[in-house]
Amino acid sequence: MNPLTQAIMSGIMMGAVYAMLSIGLVIVYQTAHVINLAHGETYSIAGSVVATVAAAQVLPIWVAILAAIAAAIVFSIAVERFLLRPRHAWSHNALILITLAAALFIHGVLYTLIGSDAVSFPRLVSGAPFRIAGGALPPQGLLLVVVGFVLALAVPLFLSGTPLGRQLRAAAENPDAAQLMGVNVDRARVLAFGIAGAYGAIGAVLLVPLVSVDFHTGLDMTMRGFIAAALAGMSPLWAILCSLGLGLGEAFVTTYFGTLAKDPIVFFILIGIAVWRSRNIRFGGTRRA
Amino acid sequence: MKPLVYLKGLGCGLLTAASLSVTAFAAEPFVVGVISPMTGPMATVGAQSTAGLQLWAKALNAAGGIKGRQIELDVCDDQGTPENAVTCARRHIERHAAIILDNSISSTIRAITPLLKDGPVMVVVSPIIDPDPKSYVFQTSASDVEITRALLAYLQANKISKLAMIASTDTTGEANASHAQKVFTPAGVALSLARIDLKSNDASIQLANVVKDNPIIYSAYSGAGAATVVKSFNNLGLTIPFVLSNANLSDAFMALIKNDMPPRLLGLGLNFMLPELVTDPGERARLQKFRTAFQEAQKQPPSLLALMGVTLADTAESVLRNVENTNDAAAVKKYLESTPIQSIAAIRFSPESHVGAGASTISVVEYKNGHWTKADPIK
Repeated sequence: MNPLTQAIMSGIMMGAVYAMLSIGLVIVYQTAHVINLAHGETYSIAGSVVATVAAAQVLPIWVAILAAIAAAIVFSIAVERFLLRPRHAWSHNALILITLAAALFIHGVLYTLIGSDAVSFPRLVSGAPFRIAGGALPPQGLLLVVVGFVLALAVPLFLSGTPLGRQLRAAAENPDAAQLMGVNVDRARVLAFGIAGAYGAIGAVLLVPLVSVDFHTGLDMTMRGFIAAALAGMSPLWAILCSLGLGLGEAFVTTYFGTLAKDPIVFFILIGIAVWRSRNIRFGGTRRA
Repeated sequence: MKPLVYLKGLGCGLLTAASLSVTAFAAEPFVVGVISPMTGPMATVGAQSTAGLQLWAKALNAAGGIKGRQIELDVCDDQGTPENAVTCARRHIERHAAIILDNSISSTIRAITPLLKDGPVMVVVSPIIDPDPKSYVFQTSASDVEITRALLAYLQANKISKLAMIASTDTTGEANASHAQKVFTPAGVALSLARIDLKSNDASIQLANVVKDNPIIYSAYSGAGAATVVKSFNNLGLTIPFVLSNANLSDAFMALIKNDMPPRLLGLGLNFMLPELVTDPGERARLQKFRTAFQEAQKQPPSLLALMGVTLADTAESVLRNVENTNDAAAVKKYLESTPIQSIAAIRFSPESHVGAGASTISVVEYKNGHWTKADPIK
């Protein structure tokens, strides 16, 4: 096997998942101007639901997947409807902390339901891996890459190219003006959170069969999605590219510097870029970081 | 007369009080402290081993205890972290535990050891520790070096001179890697080693780095996270034999990897996993008795970890039965160093070595048709 080729393949797979997660964060930010630290829990919830239902062997896997996506969407919308909307006048920092509290609450719920062990479920697509230049890409991995990037690319097109997408952006830019123009701001936010929840869930459905998920995977995933989104300045298209870069970067660091170097180097780069761009980081507008 | 009556009454009262206090003292249970990762990433290790201990205590108490005293098993969850382990150890020390049984990981045991400079005795199962004979720590399992030598013997018997290995980045992994280099390299086995972080959810890159043209791979990574290595192994479509560490030879772990089972799954097991490998009649009888009781209570056969818990229980029982004053740590230590422990394996400590088992207790096993058997040769 060729470690470099394998690093590229692993990096692209992880990049696809990070793209879906970062896009979820971006669409919520572009609609509600809040960074949702509970976003990664949609991944954990979906993965755990599918794994639990699949292990019980009473329902077909596709039913489990639909239930998991629905659960993730419901959770995401519930965060908006019951935690953030009643407190929309609070400071952004306070709202971010509330989403963090929601994430930690889900940790406890998942721990109670599935315990501390990691769980997983069978691949949706099985078969021998595709061998290319010394690397191996399982069929499930190919599905993950294709679906992940297609779904991620659909969001910038949706936000900029459709009336509904423009409404979502207007709801964030100036909610009052948008309301006056006939945009239902609350519904726009619900839609954004719902899409974000669905994306987190689909990421789990595609990736968890290849790895596993446990009760605290969600925050790790949120962090990766946030790094990509922050590097991209909350721009959807750049978030996809930064996600791919993050996935590849982590893979190369692991390959050439070892697994322990991954987090320090990735976060060092993040800090470096943040410092470099500290005057220029935009969060979807003209405001400074 | 009056003073005599008074004195008689006083005497009766004193006798009554004395007998009550003796009764109260006799009824005071033996406190056996347990430190175990019941939650956290190592929970699969702790839960299984502690289940064996709880079964032991329950059976003993149902039979009347030891010397008329019940066993109080005080299980403290260290979550596999050194800081929680220290809290647990302090709790057991404050409660004057007669003995501490620790089935947690090496980093937590090393954190506790300095607290035990005056006792009580602590007995562990982690093969990484290799306790200092001057300390109050004893290890019932064979050392990791001996376990690694058992793998070397299997490789040499199969004329294999190359090995891929994955170890974790924690203290246990550090010891695994060090022992592997100490054992394989001088024996002429070329070792390709990669490390994996406990939180990693993908080991494809590490596997790609080490598998190369190696005919066999050994994952020394313990705990549920080892499933990551197995999954990644399957993702890459690898077919070489895969050797698991002995901490992962449990039904819980097999359930975790059931959708990703390698074509040939081997493990570094202890003989008492397979009754046919236990030759001593006494050991075999004790093993059978425990297996029957465990199956009845837990509705599943005992895993290797549960069986390793039995060695802790047998050591504790031997101490409680035979040491006059279990609060005297020096006496307990001297007893353990001079007396073989009757268990499901030969356990023999000495003043020179606090490791109770040797290489003769280890076998390479293979998972076939849903259960472990003696490993076939590598073709």
